[in-house]
Amino acid sequence: MAAPVNIQTPSKTWELSLYELHRSPQEAIMDGTEVAVSPRSLHSELMCPICLDMLKNTMTTKECLHRFCSDCIVTALRSGNKECPTCRKKLVSRRSLRRDSNFDALISKIYPSRDEYEAHQRQVLERLNRLHNKEALSSSIEEGLRQQARYRNHRVKKPTQESDNTTFSGGEDNGDARSHLSHDSAPSHTPHTPPRDDGSGPEGDSGSPTPPLRHHKEGPASEIELVFRPHPQLVHTQDYNQTRYVKTTANATVDHLSKYLALRIALEDRGREQEGGGGEEKGTTGGGDIGEGGEGSSLSNISEKQYTIYIMTRGGQFSTLNGSLTLELVNEKYWKVRKPLELYYAPTKDQQQPQPPAAQREG
Amino acid sequence: MASQNMDPAAAAASSTAALKGSESGGTSARGSVSKRLQQELMTLMMSGNKGISAFPESDNLFKWVGTIDGAQGTVYEGLRYRLSLEFPAGYPYQAPHVKFVTPCFHPNVDEHGFICLDILKDKWSALYDVRSILLSIQSLLGEPNNESPLNMVAAELWDDQKAFKAHLHSTFKK
Repeated sequence: MAAPVNIQTPSKTWELSLYELHRSPQEAIMDGTEVAVSPRSLHSELMCPICLDMLKNTMTTKECLHRFCSDCIVTALRSGNKECPTCRKKLVSRRSLRRDSNFDALISKIYPSRDEYEAHQRQVLERLNRLHNKEALSSSIEEGLRQQARYRNHRVKKPTQESDNTTFSGGEDNGDARSHLSHDSAPSHTPHTPPRDDGSGPEGDSGSPTPPLRHHKEGPASEIELVFRPHPQLVHTQDYNQTRYVKTTANATVDHLSKYLALRIALEDRGREQEGGGGEEKGTTGGGDIGEGGEGSSLSNISEKQYTIYIMTRGGQFSTLNGSLTLELVNEKYWKVRKPLELYYAPTKDQQQPQPPAAQREG
Repeated sequence: MASQNMDPAAAAASSTAALKGSESGGTSARGSVSKRLQQELMTLMMSGNKGISAFPESDNLFKWVGTIDGAQGTVYEGLRYRLSLEFPAGYPYQAPHVKFVTPCFHPNVDEHGFICLDILKDKWSALYDVRSILLSIQSLLGEPNNESPLNMVAAELWDDQKAFKAHLHSTFKK
């Protein structure tokens, strides 16, 4: 009765590869689920490498398919060598370019209010130019440095991790959607820089915290995006009640994340202390939540132990994540859905919640 | 082809102005250049490259001071050089004028600090920026092009790395 199994002709049989045997299928998105992509990751894709601004009247080179603003590439061809600025492939004339209106349409779909934004930017720039104000410039740079320090400090504490190329870029809820402070390095030709131990950078006459310098590595590992919220039960809503969007490499661990968070929060608190004076006392005094560091905590006290990271399991329970797990693993094990990983955080409370680390072990 | 006979900087500036925004003429060309320079400055501060830095000299965004640390493992290790970068109105279509402020004993640098580097001349691309320039000069320090030396003495001495280093360090003045 049983049908012969091997009736198939040789050409129709195949063996499952190891990957196929072990993979769990991606679930199709059937409902109206929205997939979030951070503006920062988008920006590098939509940027003209010449003006470093968003592409405008996109032109694509016919041969090598590099994109530029129409104005930028035309000017470049007129004033320089007849070659692609990106890859030096010969570009004879404008006829080697093709209008890429699909790309323009894509951009205007993503940023419908672009004109408004550009007008605003022009205004700001004009004011800056008029005043020739160094202070404004250096304060905006300081802000940049501070942001940088948020994750640089974190790196320097772990010299052994130097090779894992973990960087965080994150934004707040309000996410300045068209921020040009891209964390991505501009695509450019980078000669090899031998790394140096001596971290004393010449960076600042600006008097701001000099960020530890590092050898910038190019060539991205796979990246992971995640949404980060305060633990709804363990965190008082008024304390850093903020959703954070983070994009980082998939090989970052939960500890990395936790430390990044601690740094961010410490910096934010510090920022508030500095500007607020006494206006908005919170967090540190309120519940003693921030831990050892307390007020004016130095950033070197930051530890991944200050915050515990949770994930919501299927039953709506919060499960603690082990610090050594990589985000990639977390994503595979707990999340499995094709949308940014959602994690929760709360200050670690040793006495209150002895976390059973075995709880999240699987198989 | 009239543009070939024009001052390239002026040509680029006028064409940028004409193309970028007919509404406000010259200021918009300057505006687009300073906009790009500001973006570069930001990226440079954020990227935290080792051994290089740059910052506008004063209120003028078109003139920067850069520093380069001699790369590890080269005879320049331990020496820090200051450079000046001046951006023409046609930037980034024209290369900035880059020269050493700190005297630099190197086969491709002359006594006035001028640098012989192709990407600052005919191999310039609008995609280069301050960061890539400084990194290129940093690597030029350790790997000179002895085919076209500006400083013959340095070029000849280069093969004897020990003597070169001794001379370099004994004559180094900040």
